[in-house]
Amino acid sequence: MTEGQKDRAGKDCRFDTVLIANRGEIALRILRACRDLGLKTVVVCSQADRQASYGTLADTFLCIGPASAGKSYLNSDAILLAARTTGAGAVHPGYGFLSENAAFSEAVEKAGMVFIGPTAQAIATMGDKIAAKSAMIAAGVPCVPGPDSALPDDRAAIEAIASEIGYPVIVKAAGGGGGRGMRVVLDAGALHESVALTREEARQAFGTPALYMEKFLEYPRHIEIQVLCDVHGNAIWLGHRDCSMQRRHQKVIEEAPAPGIAYDIIGPVAEACLKACRQIGYRGVGTFEFLYEDGSFYFIEMNTRLQVEHPVTEMTSGIDIVQAQIKAAQGIALDIAQSDVKIDGHAFECRINAEDPDTFLASAGTITALKLPSGPGIRVDTHVHAGYKVPPYYDSLIGKLIVHAPTRAEAIAAMRTALAETEIEGISTNLPLLRALFDDDGFAAGGTDIHYLEKWLKRRSAS
Amino acid sequence: MSAVDFSDPATIAFLAAALQAAGVDGIEIEQPARKVRIVVERDAPGAAPLVQTLQTSPGATQLEAVTAPMAGIFDANHPDSPAPSSEPPREVGAGETLGFIRVGSVLLPVKASRPGMLTGRVAKDGAVVGYGDPLFEIELRP
Repeated sequence: MTEGQKDRAGKDCRFDTVLIANRGEIALRILRACRDLGLKTVVVCSQADRQASYGTLADTFLCIGPASAGKSYLNSDAILLAARTTGAGAVHPGYGFLSENAAFSEAVEKAGMVFIGPTAQAIATMGDKIAAKSAMIAAGVPCVPGPDSALPDDRAAIEAIASEIGYPVIVKAAGGGGGRGMRVVLDAGALHESVALTREEARQAFGTPALYMEKFLEYPRHIEIQVLCDVHGNAIWLGHRDCSMQRRHQKVIEEAPAPGIAYDIIGPVAEACLKACRQIGYRGVGTFEFLYEDGSFYFIEMNTRLQVEHPVTEMTSGIDIVQAQIKAAQGIALDIAQSDVKIDGHAFECRINAEDPDTFLASAGTITALKLPSGPGIRVDTHVHAGYKVPPYYDSLIGKLIVHAPTRAEAIAAMRTALAETEIEGISTNLPLLRALFDDDGFAAGGTDIHYLEKWLKRRSAS
Repeated sequence: MSAVDFSDPATIAFLAAALQAAGVDGIEIEQPARKVRIVVERDAPGAAPLVQTLQTSPGATQLEAVTAPMAGIFDANHPDSPAPSSEPPREVGAGETLGFIRVGSVLLPVKASRPGMLTGRVAKDGAVVGYGDPLFEIELRP
């Protein structure tokens, strides 16, 4: 047990009111979990979200700033003042916005409240790619070949590292993430120019010129492991997900479990992840993201927060991840052991975005009519309704359609039916794209790589 | 809470930046021996509009809502004020303090931006108010 865990485990961190510092479907998801646990809720919003219907479900719904996220959902001072005014005992950051901001986690705890997420130190460690990789190597988590230290400035030394890894290699900014601040180097001829360009980008975009170099994988899948930790040193994993269906690093469809990856293959990797969690004093929920190619796993990053795609794991594990996260934040010991976690059936999640299905341009406006699917194994997580006005200021995600069935094939069939039943009028959505993907033979076969969707879209626009 | 040194220019600069970032245009901080008031320029980019025009039809009296510049507890009167401010309707001048938004021990004055007749107080004394919530109505002088 680390010092951080002792502090939390020894401290009374019970709370009865949670401030939800987020918006949209995830604000509603967290609100429901709080209500189920008998906790009061304070939902803060921007002026653009004043009319959001989930506000009426909150015990307190408080506008904290203008529409611009920088002055509302990203304004930690305004959120902390709202928490103080309303007497909240904890802050749930959701995903995005301030959820992986170490300074915010620290500020919440300094103000005497509980941050529903890991410590600032754990967030900072995982937010720095080089520090995260060192922590993973220390726990035996498999990483992408390449040194776990920043690239030196010396040209000969850089050349030696690249040839030891073997081309193609990828140069990444230590402070980057989400697909930004990285460059693929195919051969030695392009090495120095690529390093110089990425270093300059890193300096400007992330405030640090530190870079690192890794082997570039050509056709990997995106596989992730969901973990859940308490502050008493207990850590379990709830299965794996495949989130390879991506466009520009944005996930479009997620599924659990990852097809074709047996538990005896991923089990040892997950055990190493749990060891890493114990070593860094991790608390709450988290996700270890891996690239998977030719039967091997390569750690890419850890998300130190609740994820958009958590519902597929909830469906297959039967565990309410948001409730578990809140209970862990209250200092309650996990009441399930790893042997109690049973994975049942197969689940898919489609992210429904307010965007043009062909151009992907965001589509704001009023939803004039809405028909959502229902039936066995169907779950819809959304905050929208007929008459809801999609504001133009935020992420285009307006809902998540989740299905759960005994087998992958049955889940695909159920998702096709559910997508056919779904109707959203008044704005453009990606529903046509999702329907087409669920009719695609390559996707139905399972195991497509992270480039599959981009190539599929290219083929479609060419034909 | 430990005492903060408000004679330190760095502290003032930090607070001013925080106010501007929060879209708040002023703050008043009282300590036993001193009082500090920081006012962010109204025209500064990012400063929140304090006033919404409620009615603009030509010829008609113009009503303006004075809204909360930040989330907090609405106080109609300063806690040290010997007497409560007189109830509307009453004439108010530009810049006149109409009430306060309180967060913890910090009071932020809410002021009339233009002269007129204060015709109503919308917010209840002691109520939690959000950013942009209407607090007062002012009938503007033509």
